[in-house]
Amino acid sequence: MTAEIIVVTSGKGGVGKTTTSASLATGLAMAGKKVAVIDFDVGLRNLDLIMGCERRVVYDFVNVVHGEATLKQALIKDKRHDNLFVLAASQTRDKDALTQEGVEKVLDGLSEDGFDYVVCDSPAGIEKGAHLAMYFADHAVVVVNPEVSSVRDSDRILGLLASKTRRAEKDESPVTQHLLLTRYNPARVAIGEMLSVKDVEEILGIEVVGVIPESENVLTASNNGIPVIVDATSQAGQAYSDTVARILGEERPLRFIDVPKKGFLQRVFGG
Amino acid sequence: MKAGSATDVADACDLRFGQVGIACVRVRRVDAAALCDELERRVRAAPQMFARAAVVLDLSHLLNLPDDGAVDALLEAVRSAGMLPVGLAYGTSETEALARRMGLPLIAKFRAAYEPAQSGPLAAEPAPRAEPAPAVQREPILSAPPPGSMQGALHHAGSVRSGQQVYARDRDLIVTGAVANGAEVIADGNIHIYGGLRGRAMAGAQGDGKARIFVSDFRAELVAIAGQYRVFEQIPRDLEGRSVQCWLEGDKLLIARL
Repeated sequence: MTAEIIVVTSGKGGVGKTTTSASLATGLAMAGKKVAVIDFDVGLRNLDLIMGCERRVVYDFVNVVHGEATLKQALIKDKRHDNLFVLAASQTRDKDALTQEGVEKVLDGLSEDGFDYVVCDSPAGIEKGAHLAMYFADHAVVVVNPEVSSVRDSDRILGLLASKTRRAEKDESPVTQHLLLTRYNPARVAIGEMLSVKDVEEILGIEVVGVIPESENVLTASNNGIPVIVDATSQAGQAYSDTVARILGEERPLRFIDVPKKGFLQRVFGG
Repeated sequence: MKAGSATDVADACDLRFGQVGIACVRVRRVDAAALCDELERRVRAAPQMFARAAVVLDLSHLLNLPDDGAVDALLEAVRSAGMLPVGLAYGTSETEALARRMGLPLIAKFRAAYEPAQSGPLAAEPAPRAEPAPAVQREPILSAPPPGSMQGALHHAGSVRSGQQVYARDRDLIVTGAVANGAEVIADGNIHIYGGLRGRAMAGAQGDGKARIFVSDFRAELVAIAGQYRVFEQIPRDLEGRSVQCWLEGDKLLIARL
């Protein structure tokens, strides 16, 4: 039994990779899977903050890669889910502290420990850290915002996923690609300020696995160290739940992609 | 998709669009010691610029082409001055033979301009093959075939992503998918794209002016045939999203709806 490795990547920074990693990992754990989420952004670690475990980091990913700590010592158990673990990045090192062998060793270790899923939160860019995060992946969640520069960077990443991963190098079946559209604002799409779901699908030539609406809840949740998926009342949380279900093979219609219709009173008094 | 082998890199240092910065050392007399001194002085003066810079040796200003031993000495002089010779500048057929004997690539800015299409397969050979130090790092060119005669077309199924390059050597290229912004498709023959072209397409890359480009959804950044190119800052309204073909008339690159 080997763990399924999912990389969350984008090329461009600030599009919501870490938010997505945290919610995806939490969602998989809520579905009963044993999940580890690893922060590959060595030197600029954030995942621990979003997961709300920043004060419990003793050993990190780099320590394990270098054999200075065991996986058991470094994995931080989530406070809400017993089957969810965080492996934080090191803030004091840089990306060169990671090696391909070291990463492979950690991923193999997680497989042996009976993990079902390992979510790899990739740093921005296409350099070493991002390369290592995607190299061993079975699935990739490419996070994209509805704007042209993000779409182009995602296109680049999709190309790299098809050529610079272990699966590509060994001529195995390719990495399964999922496109996740985040920060989607239907109102701005309607007036032509943002690319639509259809535009993005057309430019990149693959279908979206989910659309996360732009929402204040995301920021609030992040600041409180709670993955937004835990907030079942928020649209973003529900959209992430749908996305996780789709990645697990369920069929669910897209929600929150149309401008909400205003009620009569709102139309009269302004909404 | 396969990683490119050494020969595939040939196109990565082709100077056709001036993307590669390689210093050119124009040799005025065959004096290795003097050359070394002069270059050393330059390297010391601007190490940022010249230390370990890729250098092309241009012998075309010498009255007679020096013999192999002398050229070796010149290359050694460049090396000992702290620069890295990577090839010879394009010149006469003698230069070509010399480059071949020395196992060095010939490098030219616009190869097509030096060697019109009539020169056939022989001219195709001395292209900068085993370029040891390409100045630009690119994605490996995907699936370039070995050279040979009549091979039909190279078919690329699916999209060509940003940053990728597909090169059909000595033949046509068919892409069934989109060519994204920042992607490049190149063929020595014609190019057919059954999808959107948002990136660059270059047909007749070895100088064949009869090559054409066919696109079913035109939104290109650049199209080129035999070195003649057009850049589209704004895609003309009447062409955008249409099926078009591009061809050369004289040295004018024409585009029309199909």
